[in-house]
Amino acid sequence: MNRRLVLRDKWVLLLFALPGLLYFLLFKYVPLLGNVIAFQDYNIFKGILRSPWVGFAQFERMFGFDDFYEVFRNSVKLGFYSLLFGFPAPIILALLLNELKSMWFKRIVQTVVYMPHFLSWVIVGSIFINLLSYEGIVNTIASKIGLAKVDYVTQGNTFIAVLISTGIWKEVGWGTILYLAALSGINPNLYEAAMVDGAGRWRQMWSITLPYLMPTMVVVLLLSIGHILDANVEQVLIFLNPLVRDVGEVFDTYVYTFGLVGGQYSYTTAIALFKAAVGIVLVFGLNAISRRTTGESLY
Amino acid sequence: MRKPIALQAFLATILTALSLIMLAPLIHILSVSLSSPLYAQAKLVYFWPKGLQFAVYKKIISMDEMWRAMGVSVYITVIGTLITLALTSMMAFALSRTTMPGRTWIMRLIVLTFILPAPLIPGFLLVKSLHMLDTLWSLMIPGATSAFYVIIMRTFFRNVSGELFDAAKMDGCSEAGIYFRIVLPLSTAVIATIGLFHAVYQWNTYFSALIFIRDKTLYPLQVLLQNLVAKKGLNNFMGEVQFELNMPVTPEMMSAGIIIFATVPILIVYPFLQRYFVKGAMLGSLKE
Repeated sequence: MNRRLVLRDKWVLLLFALPGLLYFLLFKYVPLLGNVIAFQDYNIFKGILRSPWVGFAQFERMFGFDDFYEVFRNSVKLGFYSLLFGFPAPIILALLLNELKSMWFKRIVQTVVYMPHFLSWVIVGSIFINLLSYEGIVNTIASKIGLAKVDYVTQGNTFIAVLISTGIWKEVGWGTILYLAALSGINPNLYEAAMVDGAGRWRQMWSITLPYLMPTMVVVLLLSIGHILDANVEQVLIFLNPLVRDVGEVFDTYVYTFGLVGGQYSYTTAIALFKAAVGIVLVFGLNAISRRTTGESLY
Repeated sequence: MRKPIALQAFLATILTALSLIMLAPLIHILSVSLSSPLYAQAKLVYFWPKGLQFAVYKKIISMDEMWRAMGVSVYITVIGTLITLALTSMMAFALSRTTMPGRTWIMRLIVLTFILPAPLIPGFLLVKSLHMLDTLWSLMIPGATSAFYVIIMRTFFRNVSGELFDAAKMDGCSEAGIYFRIVLPLSTAVIATIGLFHAVYQWNTYFSALIFIRDKTLYPLQVLLQNLVAKKGLNNFMGEVQFELNMPVTPEMMSAGIIIFATVPILIVYPFLQRYFVKGAMLGSLKE
């Protein structure tokens, strides 16, 4: 082929990639550099170049602040319970769906349980704030059958449960897709062979189904643990109210409220940087452990 | 054969119950919005409207700010999705070609963004310094593409027959010609999938608008919904609504109506598009 044409093609391809490349550099890498304001006393009128450098002062301030420990504790608690209940839920649902013989019924259930994933958190939040309020339908029914009324969204001891259960309500169906894909890859002959050998239903699940789901489970688990401190900021912001701030304020809402709205740019960037560092250490650490013990890893 | 039937009945019961849990909240909200204020106030409405009325919706569709916000949402969904598809498909195409210079390095750069955290404050300062605050660009450009989208499209493009490319090259077709005449027409499935994913993301835009948009006339539907319903902004003009409708409509009924109004567009397209969504999620599960 003509050498001049080959050269021209290379330039054309570079041009095709250019807007995307600029996008990734500008919107994914430049903000990372912007993290330097955590080591400054950033002033929005002076900008990054002329704001004074303060070294680790923002981090010292952070570790000396009670707020920080409260937010840290809340984030860990929310992340831990989300994982504890949110991780097994789609696995169980996928196993149930997989046992169904009737295909049309399975399809209907799938259509219904995937649906909440596509609703925004504003809609889901508005619906559940309404349902769970003191005058809402949940309390109306509870009082009809003689139970005490509880204002779920404004009580410290029920707030986390509201976040976890609405999170599961919205995402459990969608979460099954990965597992159903893995399940559909299992050769049915394996089950037949196991049946011939006298393996019951539980034995088949234990010895065939679960080992096949293992890689997917490990990847999902590793990713979720890496993101354990990343609350869904839209969800928490919508449910959060002054009565539950002491249990519901997590890193992301704190950075939004005190950083963006309150103008404490440098201080909250330091907090976000701390959180990101924890996440990265968790992902790499657990990935190494998992590679050695289960042989599964993210990369 | 008794046991398997018992198991199937058990599964059917559990899964039916679960489906009802998914649907019940929406049905209840819909019923409240359609019931007469007397029943709604006495908490007698469960999963069926009592004393059917449409006054709430009559009021909602007469609210200018509702249509304006709906317009903003439609605009960012349509334009934002087009931007995303153009940007992603061009980049994915270049990266799918073996003749592309530096493609391994660019791929690494992209894949790395999977694990790099996106910092909120520096991101905000960037958008501010680009003079995008209080423009609809701020809702479309910063999230225009992602490693996830690029990798899915690139994987798909690579599976489009290489022989076709060679034949086209022989006939003197340029790379641009390959993109427009071969790759795009043969990749409608992946383009539809990514497009729909992104359209839903844009339609549900909330947090970005909260950060970047101060001008009330540029609020997308989600922000307006949040202000009226969750922040109880409705309560300020309930008196006016009741007078206008000549009916003691409760704030709960109005918010129920607004929730349904904002949900309907998604619910209308959802059943038709579900097929593509599921396919996309599966594509995303491919580990390279």
